[in-house]
Amino acid sequence: MTTLLATLLSHYRRHPAQLAMLLLGLWVASALWSGVQAINASAKESYARAEALFTTGLDRLERLDGGPLTRDDFLALRRQGLPVSPLLEGELTAPDGTRLTLIGIDPLTLPGDSAFATAGDTTELTGFLTPPWQTRLAPDTLPALGLDAGSAPGATPELAAGRLPPLSLAPSLPPHTLVMDIAAAAALLDAGERVSRLVTASGALAGAPPGLALTRATTLVSPGQLTQSFHLNLTALALLALIVGLFIVQASLGLALEQRLGMLRTLRAIGVSGRALVAGLALELVLLGIVGALAGIAGGVWLARALLPDVAATLGSLYGAGVGVELRLPWHYWVGGLAVTLGGLLLAGAGVLWRAARLSVLDLGRAQAWRAGHLRQLRRMALTGAGVAALGLALWAWLARQPAGEGLAAGFALMAALLLMGALWLPPLLAVSLAGLGRLARRRPLAQWALADLELQLPRLSLALMALLIALSASLGVNSMVGGFRLTFLEWLDQRLVADLYLDPPAERFAAVHAWLGERPEVAERLVTRHGESTLLAVDAEATSRPVSLFGLTPGERLTPTWPLLATRAGREAAWAALREGDAFINEQLAVAEEIAPGDRLTLATPDGRATLAVAAVYPDYGNPRGEVLLAAPALGARFAAPADSVGIVLAPGADAEALGAALADEFALGRDALRDQGEVKRIATGIFERTFTITRALNALTLAVAALALLASLLAQAAERRRHLAPLWALGVPRRRLLGIQLAQLGGTALAVGLVAVPLGIAITWGLVAVINVAAFGWRLPLHLFPGEVALTLATAMAVALAAAALPTLRLWRTPPRALLAEEAG
Amino acid sequence: MPGPLHHAAPSPWQALLLAVLLGAFVTLAGCEKAPPERAGTGFAGLGESTAGFVQADADTPLRFPEDHGAHPDTRIEWWYLTANLEDEAGEPMGLQWTLFRQALVPPAERPAPTPWAADQLWMGHMAVSRGERHAVAERFARSHSAAPSRGNTSQAGAEASPFRAWLDDWELASAVTEAAGDTFEHLTLTAFEGEGEARLGYRLTLTAEGPLVRHGDNGFSQKAADGQGSHYYSQPFYRVEGEVTLAGETHRVSGRGWLDREWSSQLLSPDQAGWDWFSLHLDDGRRLMAFRLRGGGADDGDYRSGSWIAPDGTTRPLGPQALTMTPLATSPVAGREVPTRWRLAVPGEGLELVVEAPHAERWMTTTVPYWEGEVVARDPRSGERLGGGYLEMTGY
Repeated sequence: MTTLLATLLSHYRRHPAQLAMLLLGLWVASALWSGVQAINASAKESYARAEALFTTGLDRLERLDGGPLTRDDFLALRRQGLPVSPLLEGELTAPDGTRLTLIGIDPLTLPGDSAFATAGDTTELTGFLTPPWQTRLAPDTLPALGLDAGSAPGATPELAAGRLPPLSLAPSLPPHTLVMDIAAAAALLDAGERVSRLVTASGALAGAPPGLALTRATTLVSPGQLTQSFHLNLTALALLALIVGLFIVQASLGLALEQRLGMLRTLRAIGVSGRALVAGLALELVLLGIVGALAGIAGGVWLARALLPDVAATLGSLYGAGVGVELRLPWHYWVGGLAVTLGGLLLAGAGVLWRAARLSVLDLGRAQAWRAGHLRQLRRMALTGAGVAALGLALWAWLARQPAGEGLAAGFALMAALLLMGALWLPPLLAVSLAGLGRLARRRPLAQWALADLELQLPRLSLALMALLIALSASLGVNSMVGGFRLTFLEWLDQRLVADLYLDPPAERFAAVHAWLGERPEVAERLVTRHGESTLLAVDAEATSRPVSLFGLTPGERLTPTWPLLATRAGREAAWAALREGDAFINEQLAVAEEIAPGDRLTLATPDGRATLAVAAVYPDYGNPRGEVLLAAPALGARFAAPADSVGIVLAPGADAEALGAALADEFALGRDALRDQGEVKRIATGIFERTFTITRALNALTLAVAALALLASLLAQAAERRRHLAPLWALGVPRRRLLGIQLAQLGGTALAVGLVAVPLGIAITWGLVAVINVAAFGWRLPLHLFPGEVALTLATAMAVALAAAALPTLRLWRTPPRALLAEEAG
Repeated sequence: MPGPLHHAAPSPWQALLLAVLLGAFVTLAGCEKAPPERAGTGFAGLGESTAGFVQADADTPLRFPEDHGAHPDTRIEWWYLTANLEDEAGEPMGLQWTLFRQALVPPAERPAPTPWAADQLWMGHMAVSRGERHAVAERFARSHSAAPSRGNTSQAGAEASPFRAWLDDWELASAVTEAAGDTFEHLTLTAFEGEGEARLGYRLTLTAEGPLVRHGDNGFSQKAADGQGSHYYSQPFYRVEGEVTLAGETHRVSGRGWLDREWSSQLLSPDQAGWDWFSLHLDDGRRLMAFRLRGGGADDGDYRSGSWIAPDGTTRPLGPQALTMTPLATSPVAGREVPTRWRLAVPGEGLELVVEAPHAERWMTTTVPYWEGEVVARDPRSGERLGGGYLEMTGY
């Protein structure tokens, strides 16, 4: 067996480029896949840490009037025998600008055994409770403080708010979270007797004590749930890259087999059994696979490291989910990466093994025989493509009958079917076009030769071309979707951000600030907003249970004309009038998820029981992962006891925003971040949005690069053989320059054709993304935008990729002395 | 009689609290960290070095009512009530209520009294038992000894006059109104935990039918041959009336109670591993307190001490030689072998008893676990019942 394997592998000694290409394909495919998996695994680990944190899974108590709870409230409730524990939460800014969440706890009353299991292990409670206290934090928070794991324990970094208690590492804490005793936290946050909220074991209280609002832990959505669709999207993109990479692998493997046919026959002829031959080839595959997969996983980790900060920023800004920027990978990640690459490789190599097994000892490998085989293959491809198309149609029909917002997996399957159909139909389509063109070029021998020659090349190139098609159309689809989202989102921001200034005063001074603003001549309108939480209990009479956020706004003159609405019960004017009367608007996400239309009646949990509201309109709410119910701010305050939290200030014409800000700061000693102008809010929102798609774009570009590589691999692999075909033409007197021109034209033309097929396919993908995937994943639908620029870019990319891939073989040919051409033919 | 040190498989949370009890002092004094369980600090760290704390000594006389309240300058202290009761059907019931105080730092190192800053850790234990049933609850709190402790400004505390010791809504308070009387003569005890089927607790009145009893040398109780000890007095003459709730069912009860007050900065010698402690109400009106500290004694490795209390409260201290305590049989409890049958003898008084726990399942599943339950005292020859009381065993 060793001799057999050595003989088989000796092929690669003669063709090292082929081996390199094979490994490169495996490496790239597996690197993209494992890179994304690494990101997902790392993010999930962060969520798991966040969910295991003691603050989740606990019911929380807050004051109904939105005012701060104090230590006296805590003591009074404990004196009544209620098992509440104080929690102080605040934000600190690290020297590098990172925002750190500071959580002050009282470990003596915090419910559950998990309290300290998450925060630390053997360090004594005394050290935690008494000066100089302790700061518990995860190692991946250290870079923000400019420390490493070696120097961190016991360090006391100085922040703007003051010096932190000595650090103590607790890997199970979520990133960017500092946990310390409430006494130390109160000093750092200058909180005095104030606490952020009181927490209690889930279900420990039958109801809220008087004056307090009880939020059950079950109504709080975990970051893992929120970000699920985001990770599914990433996974789908990675799968795409894996498939494209495996195309390269299959092309290389096919070629390696083709070139070794002679050797294989010799081996069979000297007595090696067919079974041994297949086993030898399979062993070769596994060896290659392991090398490729290991390299791929290493590459994937590197890729994930490079992308993770962007992913973390995106998840942080979109969902408020903290994700560490340091990669933390569980063992199953490594095993999984290896398994997927090897599995993919075996799938790609199955055809090769099958063919090797049926190898006829006597048959001679001839290009024409290949051609006959190729025709059969084309027919099979066309038929399979038709089958996949039928499957896609069936999926689409099924999806159309599903309630909106469901069938994310089916949506992805539909996208996959579209891509596969396009890929499978591409070679037959090219073959038919070539045949047609060949007839047209009957009077031009050279052109006819070029077309015939291209037809002969097609079998070798088709896999690479299919890969290119998939990459191109996916890229067009994703870019159009992103572009469309961008347009819609910016427009929506413009419509929604109508006030000139936005102010977040501290809760206890809200009333004073609001009254003060009312007396200022430069303030034309005050648009108060309120936020709260509730549970949707029923739609019409049908019971449900879904946590929703409550949003209260002031339907002022500046706001109502521009605020976008998707559907209303009886027109815009009537809708706003109804809102003022106490009816509700809901966001598109909620409408999709619960199939609510204007006119339906919602039953929501309130602090006093339940409230029934009529839905007057549905509004778009891009980027919000949750269902939201909108009410007029006074109604929200009265019925749900939701605290006022910010006020939008519409300035009178000619008023000076700077001066008002300064006066406000003087009067109430508000910090810089309490007041934001409209432009700044827009800039922040746009920044969040841009980040969201950084990763998508990066993965897309990488997929395209993989496709270019596949094409290059195929071209390089057949370069030697091509020379044999070109030599007679040169001998007949066709100048080399012309020959090279023909070669470039052949490839350029093919690429253009692929690009032309990619355009409708890409548009179909865009539609699928905005109308199916987006609704299912995020709950909102985007208008379909098409960008001619993107289409042109796709065609140009196709050409550029093909020509870039052709450049190296062409250059080689250019440098080949004519004598060598003849020598090849002679040999 | 704080809890024992032995723990089978502590949760991380338990391990931490244990670590407090064990390592509290060493860390704070700036020495190297104490491993959670190390030899040479005695049971639950009660034998640790105590630099910076006020030491208990025989020269400091007890003062009342001041000594009913907390002594934050000493390291450890407790208000420890046990009672042997009968419900309306004559079924025996037992109860325990304990408030432990532990100073987190020596007086000189107390943090500034900011709102949450603490130098005292409080631990409350409650237990009710009836037949095989034994229910336990535990709570924790922090306080600052420099903060005003009057009213509701502290989650837990102990005030001398009028006497009140509390943690959350668990409270042992004086019901004495006339200024002349001792504040301990009439107490009320209220503590409840849990809801529905799991509810346990009590609302009781305690009426003293005898005087306070000072143990050892006029209230200084030596705990090891080398002189370690504590301030220790009791009120063993309580008549108890009220209601006890167990498993959601409330019973009217009456019986006898025993309240211990003890504080110290170093209760044990470093090599003492635990103790066995008896408080017995004999039916003839006499009382016996006896304890055995395992390890650290002069000869057999044990240190024994006790008080022989006449019905009028006259107390005779019992030294190591005046008292024998012999385990006769053990019972398997919570994965351990715990002695639940004893022979007690006070040869000088002609007293010989066999003391036995009718129910062995009295394991306190608290952060620091220990055994605490009712016992019956009998004549070793006739088997006649001579009295009842409580037994606490730590360090098993």
